[in-house]
Amino acid sequence: MADRQNDVPLDDVPLVGHAFDGIQEYDNPLPGWWKWLFVGSIVYSLLYLPYYHFGAPGRSVAEKYDVALGENMRLQFAEIGELKPDEATLVRMMNDPGWVKVGESVYRTNCASCHGIDGGGIVGPNLADEHFKNVREITDILRVVQNGAAAGAMPAWKNRLVMNEQILVSSFVASLRGTSPANPKGPEGNIIPPWPEPAAEESPDAEEANDEASADEAESEP
Amino acid sequence: MANAVTPVSESQSSGEHPGGELESFQYNDSITRMFAAATVLWGAVAMLVGTIVASLMVMPKLFFELGPYGEFLTFGRLRPLHTNAAIFAFAGNAIFAAIYYSTQRLCKCRMWSDTLGLLHFWGWQLIILAAAITLPLGITQSKEYAELEWPIDIAIAVVWVGFFGVNFMMTLITRRERHMYVALWFYIATVVTVALLHVFNNLVVPVGWFKSYSLYAGVQDAFMQWWYGHNAVAFFLTTPFLGLMYYFLPKAAERPVFSYKLSILHFWSLVFIYIWAGPHHLHYTALPEWASTMGMLFSLMLWMPSWGGMINGLLTLRGAWHKVATDPVLKFFVVGITFYGMATFEGPLLSIKSVNSLSHYTDWTIAHVHSGALGWNGMMTFGMLYWLLPRLFQTPLWSSKLATWHFWVATIGILVYIVPIYAAGLTQGLMWREMDETGRLVYPDFIETVQTIVPHWTIRIFGGLLFLSGMLMLVLNFLMTWRARPAVYDEPTYTAARLGPYRDVERVAASSLEDKPVLELGKRVEAWARMDWHRSWERLPVKFTVLTLLAVVIATLFEVIPTFLIRGNVPTIASVKPYTPLELAGRDIYVAEGCFNCHSQMIRPIVAETKRYGEYSKPGESIYDRPFQWGSRRIGPDLAREGGLRSSFWHWLHFEDPEQVSPGSVMPNYEHLLVNRLDFKQITDRVRAAHLLGAPYDRELDEAPQMAREQAEVIAAEIVSQGGPVKRGDVLLIETQAVALIAYLQRLGVDLTRPAETDSEAAGDATTEEAVEDVGGGATAPDEDTPDEDDSAPL
Repeated sequence: MADRQNDVPLDDVPLVGHAFDGIQEYDNPLPGWWKWLFVGSIVYSLLYLPYYHFGAPGRSVAEKYDVALGENMRLQFAEIGELKPDEATLVRMMNDPGWVKVGESVYRTNCASCHGIDGGGIVGPNLADEHFKNVREITDILRVVQNGAAAGAMPAWKNRLVMNEQILVSSFVASLRGTSPANPKGPEGNIIPPWPEPAAEESPDAEEANDEASADEAESEP
Repeated sequence: MANAVTPVSESQSSGEHPGGELESFQYNDSITRMFAAATVLWGAVAMLVGTIVASLMVMPKLFFELGPYGEFLTFGRLRPLHTNAAIFAFAGNAIFAAIYYSTQRLCKCRMWSDTLGLLHFWGWQLIILAAAITLPLGITQSKEYAELEWPIDIAIAVVWVGFFGVNFMMTLITRRERHMYVALWFYIATVVTVALLHVFNNLVVPVGWFKSYSLYAGVQDAFMQWWYGHNAVAFFLTTPFLGLMYYFLPKAAERPVFSYKLSILHFWSLVFIYIWAGPHHLHYTALPEWASTMGMLFSLMLWMPSWGGMINGLLTLRGAWHKVATDPVLKFFVVGITFYGMATFEGPLLSIKSVNSLSHYTDWTIAHVHSGALGWNGMMTFGMLYWLLPRLFQTPLWSSKLATWHFWVATIGILVYIVPIYAAGLTQGLMWREMDETGRLVYPDFIETVQTIVPHWTIRIFGGLLFLSGMLMLVLNFLMTWRARPAVYDEPTYTAARLGPYRDVERVAASSLEDKPVLELGKRVEAWARMDWHRSWERLPVKFTVLTLLAVVIATLFEVIPTFLIRGNVPTIASVKPYTPLELAGRDIYVAEGCFNCHSQMIRPIVAETKRYGEYSKPGESIYDRPFQWGSRRIGPDLAREGGLRSSFWHWLHFEDPEQVSPGSVMPNYEHLLVNRLDFKQITDRVRAAHLLGAPYDRELDEAPQMAREQAEVIAAEIVSQGGPVKRGDVLLIETQAVALIAYLQRLGVDLTRPAETDSEAAGDATTEEAVEDVGGGATAPDEDTPDEDDSAPL
């Protein structure tokens, strides 16, 4: 339709027959593509609205978010399931480079602003040296992550991160020990014994053995 | 040069009975000259400030050598100055110049009142001046493009409605041209809708001369703000410029307008549909989803109405394209209208929810806005001014060659500005959401995403500089043309017949299907579609104005009423409590510093976003937020869940110099917060105003300063215990604004997950008070029962 108009010599198109300060107007019809795209956008809207707002459940933003979040959790943790918040798990994860990376991602999102991107410490203490303020054994890291420390200067994360994230970030923090940050903060707290050695084998049996071992340790401590 | 109106031929051409008595009149071009000069001046200022704020993003410490004065020149305070100058000073004066020049000629009469014109001009310039002073001082309502505080808002309403609106409407009423041309329709829509938007978005409760709290809170405030914000674009930057286009383009091209029918249809559809589209600025936020859907769908429907203007502009040039090659005025118009077409295609695109989830909070929006503002508003203004200058100053343009240079420099400048910024927006948006195959954020460190796009920001400065240098060419051309003006302006006298009562026989529209075998209804529809009915509306300016107003009001009410009345839109969250007096004071500092210009407080229900910032924001969380602080751009990270995330000392260090704790940060230092004292006494007024608006305060009403001091002591003690100083210079830490701001930041987003302990504390307080006040009553009896018991005693 638009083409047809263009084919018409300009002076053949009728004018509307009035002028304003010398400005005249052609009496051209509405371009067809314009008219039909306009109608199309209205029809689309009339279909969209009932589909998303009066249709089947599961189409709202909140519902779709819940599904996406569930999928993301599965993607991240389907392999390891629900981790147990114990020493064996922390040590095992600390020595698994793949899962340390996951912990590092959590660390960089939430912890790096106070402890530094490489754990050297800024406002929060240096995590790479041998000195620790609130930690005597590896499970204390998880406890501090969960409950905070230093009268709230270190926030509690138990409501902000899911358990697996708490455990993995603790393992990552443990793995920082002995690394060399670019700008290390001075030592704070006491020197503590090294982290426990990881179990020799990675098999379901070994995991059980680990559990037993940690239970043994727990018994032996008092 | 002026287009002489020859009375005889003109009155015939408008189909008027030449019965009315002939009158002589002259046009008032002096007012147009003034507005044109103001356009050029403020245009240069707005673009200069724009270049400065662009530079601040790359060099945040640029003004630190200025010492204590640096606090007035931070990005957060200057960015609103840039946007306000560009919109209200540059584009504003441009549309006034256009309206004052063209309305007189389209109505064949002088503006109704020269005095009102002068009051309008000087009033508007004073408002701009007031904005330029108050915004750097941190006096702001923090609503985008409505930052100016309430006394200035009242001045704007008076100048707009009382001086400009009355003068314009009275000119229409006293006109000597029977029908109103399409440019006037767009001016009418501008005048009534801007007044409506301005008044209802700026309803506040004043707290002194320089501070106010919005009448709306949280979700509703956000809704009203973007109803306003979006339609400021529609009715301040679109409709008046379409009116401008409809007058100056056919004038410059000397061609008839492409289609009268298209004018009618795209005008009414634009006016009716635009007003709904505001919520597309709030996709995935705590705004109810139905409103967001409305915003998206009406934006999609707006595509063709917007393009109707573009088509009518570009096709008007058919038969005149050879002139575009030689005439800089037409060059500006062609590029301006093309940018209008691109921006109004991109607008609906960005309003699609899934696209918006990527673009929102990124530079994509900034690029979109600048392709509209520089491309459409800038180029149309330049074209109009180059056409006007010889006519206003009655001498040839000083240099047409320089105008052509301006055109090329500006066009290239726009491209150098928007291309890297589009790329920056896409890059940052994609980095924020990028997750690897195991479902982790690939770029968990926010600053990494900022550093990636800093080079884009650097290139953008050069684009801005090019555009600014083009503007300076216009300044030069303006001045030199002005200098060559005649000693006395020639003011030709025109004559036209006064409008008598309309006596023309209304042509009964006969359908061309009259003889065809078609249903009667079909014939009627066909006749109606020829739109002769619109001709009668064009004769009646008051009716036309009322119809336009109805179109925007009805559309508005469809969205406003449910937003305000349906309680389910904002489900109450029991643990959300009002801010403490100190937090309230801190929030006011947050607003004054313009933190919202870089930090959003609105986490969207998108996995990549909740992984980065925490649980998504709920509508019930911002019920005490007056004004809302959801923000529109994340130059820094979202702060909706900032509370408790970092130590108070971290924040203190961050204000002193962000790079101490965030290497690579582009945030400026806020050292002045560490030494500026907080006015504790002032908090009482703030608390009372918030209480008036519904915040359930009690003890705070009388003891706000004391309570604020107590909390300041706690925060200061925290900072000191974490290694902070007790005082800086001779200012004690507990007295500083920093402590109040930290108190506010530590509160952000914590209410949602706060355990019930505060409830029991509150109950504990109440019990104690009752124990004191209610001597005879039981300790568990609620306060309200006590008077009842007293009342019952005499019975």
